[in-house]
Amino acid sequence: MSHTNPSITRRTLLQGAAATAALIGAPAYLRAQSAPIKVGILQPMTGALAFDGQQGRIGAELAIEMINAAGGVNGQPIEPVFGDARSTPEGGTAEVEKMQAEGVVAIVGGFASPICLASSQAASRYDLPYLVDVGVSDQIVSRGLTNTFRFGPGFGKVTQQALENLVKINEAAGNPAKTVVLVHEDGLFGSGLAQLLQNELPKRGFEVLQTLAHPTPARDMSNIALQIRAANPDIVIPSSYYGEFVLLARTMQQQRIRPKGIYAVLNGAASNFRFVQEFPDAAENVMDCNHWHDPRKQESQALLERVRSDGNVWTYNIPLNYSNVKLLADAIARAGSTERTAIRDALAASTYEGHVMPYGPTVFVDGQNQGAAPVNTQVQGGDIKVIFPEDFADAEPVFPVT
Amino acid sequence: MNARDLATGFAPILLVVALLALVPLFVSSNTVLNFLVFTLIIALAAQGWNLLAGYGGQFSFGHAAFFGTGAYAAAILQVNLGLNAYVAFLVGIGLGALVGFVIGYLSFRSGLRGSYFALVTLAFAEVLRILANSAGFTGGAAGILIPLEVSAWNFQFESRAAYYWVALALVGAVLVLVRAIERARFGAQLVAVRENEAAARALGVDALAVKLKAIAISGAITAAAGGLYAQYFLYLDALIAYGPWISIEALLAPIVGGLGTVFGPLVGALALHGLSEGSKMFTGEIPGIDLVVFGVVLILVVAFTPDGIMGVLGRLRRRLAGSTAKSTANAAPLPAREEPAA
Repeated sequence: MSHTNPSITRRTLLQGAAATAALIGAPAYLRAQSAPIKVGILQPMTGALAFDGQQGRIGAELAIEMINAAGGVNGQPIEPVFGDARSTPEGGTAEVEKMQAEGVVAIVGGFASPICLASSQAASRYDLPYLVDVGVSDQIVSRGLTNTFRFGPGFGKVTQQALENLVKINEAAGNPAKTVVLVHEDGLFGSGLAQLLQNELPKRGFEVLQTLAHPTPARDMSNIALQIRAANPDIVIPSSYYGEFVLLARTMQQQRIRPKGIYAVLNGAASNFRFVQEFPDAAENVMDCNHWHDPRKQESQALLERVRSDGNVWTYNIPLNYSNVKLLADAIARAGSTERTAIRDALAASTYEGHVMPYGPTVFVDGQNQGAAPVNTQVQGGDIKVIFPEDFADAEPVFPVT
Repeated sequence: MNARDLATGFAPILLVVALLALVPLFVSSNTVLNFLVFTLIIALAAQGWNLLAGYGGQFSFGHAAFFGTGAYAAAILQVNLGLNAYVAFLVGIGLGALVGFVIGYLSFRSGLRGSYFALVTLAFAEVLRILANSAGFTGGAAGILIPLEVSAWNFQFESRAAYYWVALALVGAVLVLVRAIERARFGAQLVAVRENEAAARALGVDALAVKLKAIAISGAITAAAGGLYAQYFLYLDALIAYGPWISIEALLAPIVGGLGTVFGPLVGALALHGLSEGSKMFTGEIPGIDLVVFGVVLILVVAFTPDGIMGVLGRLRRRLAGSTAKSTANAAPLPAREEPAA
């Protein structure tokens, strides 16, 4: 073929190929002026946590869509680089390596604590800023990694807040509740929380009648329900994942077990519209202390409408990831460059307020946002309302229920 | 053992390990190295399973018990007792052997074999998982975190290549060990127990002692993989350490690679994980499609190569060697013990 086209010799072809290769291989910042800003969106898209991962990605995508529609960051659009952590820490680590190779400037997500721990550590090797979306394990921000930031609250904060809010809600109603039964799954949230509540509730005037543990998954809650009936507590505090709590709430409803209140903590179902829609009677008046958006912000309402009009379910993963991406975009804009250390420093100095969570201005200390806190929600009339703290509430608590 | 035995037995191992050791010199991509390190950890765990099941015929569904013990020992001894990482790693290997011995003693003494042995090992792994999930010193459900302090003294390396070489060295050492066992009297006894335990006994083989020795060594090898996992990812919880995922990985690799062959677990792990990554690359953005492709290819591989990749390589070699070998190759009923034409 070379005989018919003498203008392309082997040498020129090689030169061209070398130049192309050099261009492709050039560091990202050399091409940054014309290229979009790549941001890694890491979620468990397959495996046990796939639902949460999909929800998280929806939030991140909507934030990127909105930022790009408004002209991008410093005139450059954000380009998401999606990764599937496969619900395992090594899956997350592998995706971080891939994202690093693709030249992302930061990574958002992780969802589960083990994935966040492993992925943020892998990212720290490259000084790659990592924003944890949910992962509540307090170990995440206690390792001294300068690249890791958590915008939401950790386990310690959530449990402490849950306890304080319970006492306040009870006081406001004239202290009708004095006895408690704890129901918990035997994993990170459940066991840790049960232990804490067992120690702390008696100090605050509550009597813990019984602590009932169950595994995840559990297929039958009849025994737990019967034990609750026998103990006849004023309040039931369940800390379980979606399926188990739905099962418990339905069994309690069937067996007509009606405590003065069901007060869930970090519950998979109580702040989930699917539960509310599918089992409205069982869900009515269930309280939860969990991540939730700030219902008074116009932007959060618009986001909620958008998610619903797309036919998706609203869960806390969406506003958390949405806010994290916006927080990152703000940091990149203030950093004025896509240099990692500059973005990291901008994040550390962030006072960002444009998010949709009830946290106030962002202040990071050792990577943890100090304003982050859970809120109390309650299912009221088929909707999920924020009942506490008052500053963010859009409804009054219904307590005691009976 | 004469020089010819050495050459045919150990030279291929040295050659393969030497070739693999050169990889980081040509591949600087951490994505690839990270993939290879994880694959080698799996290959190591799988080699432990292969020794007990492939050579000894004792199919375990619970190698997570050993993997988790090695991993937790490495983490707990460092974090709670302040031991040096290498010492913790070695103690973990010892504990893996001990757990293997205890499980073996309890189940083999009771005459459990076949699917009953498999179920008991599964139960042991599950019990350990539940204990690790609720005990205080394992960090409970919150897991345990090895502090990130990168230095060779702490068994933590800056570059992925260093981890790769450490993992490869361990895999190489275990390849040599398994080859040596295969050629020793113990290996012959192990295979005899696999083929017909009653007949082996009749010939004077102490079946219980042979099986106990095998499960202890198997436990030690798989515990080494667990310890390496802990040093690499620096985080463990009960589901990672004792979860069923690693039991499945450990048995899948030798089955695909070639049961009861020295290279089977390594070849199987590389093929499986390579396939998994490859299908990920070609299926693009739709999450989960790569797993579907992976599953379909796996079914095809298992359906058409019942004696694994090593069996296919063996048959190919014999077919190439001549027509006389061809007829025997087609009739070979057992997992081939041939080596690749490396």
